[in-house]
Amino acid sequence: MSAPDLSVQRRADAGAPAPPRAARRLPRFGIGRRTLVGALSLLGLLVLWWVLTTGTGLVAPYRFPSPAEFRGALDQFVTDGYAGGTLWVQAWHSTRLVLMGFAVAVVTGVPLGLLMGVSPRAEALLNPAFLLVRPIPPLAWIPLAIVWLGLGDAAKVLVIWFAAFVPSVINTWTGVRGVDRTLIAAARVHGAGSRRLLTEVIIPGALPMIFTGLRLSLQASWTTLVAAELVGAFFGLGRVLDAAYRDINPAMITVAMVAVGILGAATTRLLGEAERRLIPWRS
Amino acid sequence: MAQLSPLERWVLTLLGTIGFFAIWQGVAASGLVSHNALPTPAEVLATAWQLSFEPFAGHTLLQHLAASLGRFAMGFGLAALVGVPLGLAMGRWRLLDDIVSPIFEMLRFVAPLAWVPFAALWFGTGIGGPVMVIFAGALPPCLINAYRGAKLVEPRIVEAAQVLGASGPRIMAEVLLPGSLPSIVAGLRVSAGLAWQSLIGAELIVASAGIGYVMVQAQSNLAPSIVMAGMLAVGVIGLALDVALRRTETLVKARWGQA
Amino acid sequence: MKDIRFEGIGKAFPTRGGGQFVALDDVTLTVAEREFVAVVGPSGSGKTTLMRMAAGLDHPTSGQVAVGGKRVTAPGPDRAVVFQQFALFPWKTVRENIAFGLRCQGAPRAKQDEVVARYLRLMNMEGTEDRYPHQLSGGMQQRVAIARSYAIEPDVLLMDEPFGALDAQTRTVMQEELVRLTRREPRTTLFITHAVEEAVYLSDRVVVLARDPGRLREIVDIRPTRIAEGWDEMAIDAVMDLPSFTHLRTHVWRLLRDQIRPDD
Ligand SMILES: Nc1ncnc2c1ncn2[C@@H]1O[C@H](COP(=O)(O)OP(=O)(O)OP(=O)(O)O)[C@@H](O)[C@H]1O
Ligand SMILES: [Mg+2]
Repeated sequence: MSAPDLSVQRRADAGAPAPPRAARRLPRFGIGRRTLVGALSLLGLLVLWWVLTTGTGLVAPYRFPSPAEFRGALDQFVTDGYAGGTLWVQAWHSTRLVLMGFAVAVVTGVPLGLLMGVSPRAEALLNPAFLLVRPIPPLAWIPLAIVWLGLGDAAKVLVIWFAAFVPSVINTWTGVRGVDRTLIAAARVHGAGSRRLLTEVIIPGALPMIFTGLRLSLQASWTTLVAAELVGAFFGLGRVLDAAYRDINPAMITVAMVAVGILGAATTRLLGEAERRLIPWRS
Repeated sequence: MAQLSPLERWVLTLLGTIGFFAIWQGVAASGLVSHNALPTPAEVLATAWQLSFEPFAGHTLLQHLAASLGRFAMGFGLAALVGVPLGLAMGRWRLLDDIVSPIFEMLRFVAPLAWVPFAALWFGTGIGGPVMVIFAGALPPCLINAYRGAKLVEPRIVEAAQVLGASGPRIMAEVLLPGSLPSIVAGLRVSAGLAWQSLIGAELIVASAGIGYVMVQAQSNLAPSIVMAGMLAVGVIGLALDVALRRTETLVKARWGQA
Repeated sequence: MKDIRFEGIGKAFPTRGGGQFVALDDVTLTVAEREFVAVVGPSGSGKTTLMRMAAGLDHPTSGQVAVGGKRVTAPGPDRAVVFQQFALFPWKTVRENIAFGLRCQGAPRAKQDEVVARYLRLMNMEGTEDRYPHQLSGGMQQRVAIARSYAIEPDVLLMDEPFGALDAQTRTVMQEELVRLTRREPRTTLFITHAVEEAVYLSDRVVVLARDPGRLREIVDIRPTRIAEGWDEMAIDAVMDLPSFTHLRTHVWRLLRDQIRPDD
């Protein structure tokens, strides 16, 4: 994300831009230098992991698993399951809740943000509720959700909705207000009605900000889900984390963390793909 | 998008505020939901007041808050102390950037709260564990904003320092740090919000004191008014932190921004 | 004092398409101790690149640069650079800017104060030591940048269009002041400029570069005329009215004009 900023900066100074020196000391390979160093770095990390846990035993097994233990826990989780389900069952359970909560938040949050963006009246009326509720971090809703709905799925969806709702609304709202006024005026001059104005000028103009909001919402959804499942749940990866913690099973903790990370990355990736499809005009 | 007159805006804002509490009060008093599930606003305030003097879950509300704030300060401070220098150095030295970035990107997708089990295993559930979770939540914005800030420092200025004989650490402390201060402070603000929220999360799961602990205890006692009093306290402190850092941000922008 | 030797310098930048862009080709040039050499050339002829290599901020792809007989590999305090955009530290006062290099060297506070005071006096900037750069005019900012470079007492001064961002009047004043400063404290100087008159007025020799690729076109010797006619004791406008000056200026100008293209 810093790349465009940099190019602006470089254009601004007339002299010759100098890439940092390290860049030219190393020889150029067919694949990018960055990729190569990155791959080496990750490889180094793997080696370090092996050395610390297996090679030297500096890190005790009850603190962090060795690669072999990790493998074993993964196998166990995939074939026999853990804390009430196999990896696929638990991962799908969590993902489904995240997607449900996220979807509810988007379906309610984006229209509300649009409304607050286009109508100053709605904005003035609804803003106080926002200002009152916003300082409460989403995770602080977990106990209340449990009191209201128990440890089942409904409470999770409710909490994720709270967590993902605010970024959806705020960014949509900001996006709408940031739409170029001259564009709106131009559309009006050309006889666009309110409906057309909304669908063809305001929403496309706000779309980049809306997606920024959706990305934040998605991130918040995962964080909240994991927390909610750790506080209390019957199924899901957070439940697995909790069970593995109670069993002092670091290998299983690691497997669950990796699963959460991969799912978070994959869903973010999907959202990014949707953004590229929906906003082709933004490079 | 017509403009509102100030009076109209003011009236609507007032209506909105009253409406919020009126709906809350109405739903709570109507009997639509059981009174055990949703206390009225007044009851929440009264509970908060009462908790300030009578111990719940071992301590008074203020003592719990003090415990939470202590952990927050440690975790947030640690994240800033690690994240800012590391981000600056990554912005300056490509090789370091190339080495650290993939690891950081990989870890960033793990939700901070997923660190709770390891944090508890490694550092216990007293102070160390929650502090580590806060650290995991607060680190990314510190690091990313310092990194971006360092990248945006005018390359000529860095070169000027280099040419005048400045060492690497001096360039970081006297050029990159002041040069990216506005960006860093903005990052710290985001980071503080995440730190506060991670703290609550950590305390809900593993802790024996703190505001999150109060809330989870109240939850198992089925005492929603205490839960909501806790939420109120969390919100007020979070808001105060945000306002303080926003002030700092404005000040820093005014002082260094025009450079 | 040290000299600068460019020995068969070539510099190619990789282009996006995977090819190469030759910015400088086989440039050999020596700036003698205490000599003031100006470099002129059309835009893109590699003037900045040449200077950056002497500073150690860039590295030649062939040939080498030596300062005082030692090959340049990195920036060092024996070489000071004055940039076109001043590159002052916006968060440091005038005093802190000027003293920065000395602090890097670990000079005692008393020495720093003494040097700062001296250059503020030389640059007619007394009373501004506690101001921040944004509180100074462009001319004053560039004086601070020059003072900051002189303050570390470098053997070599490298200036890249230092007056390029100044208005015409301020520029004239600065040119005179630079002449005063260099006659009082002569240093080996590589001075890059677009302005032919400035080059002729300030320097001992003028190096003219050609472009595509950047090459050495001609070196014009100014020093004999400057000494014979006593330019240093005269006001700048008086010098510029001299027939000898006009002659030299026109000569350099023609060398440049032959290669200036409509797109410049
Ligand atoms: N880092 C770089 N990467 C690619 N090309 C570069 C780089 N630096 C300089 N160049 C190219 O090398 C050539 C010479 O650049 P240089 O800045 O030295 O010219 P110059 O003579 O200083 O021009 P000007 O008078 O406009 O300042 C230009 O064509 C420029 O585009
Ligand atoms: Mg140049």
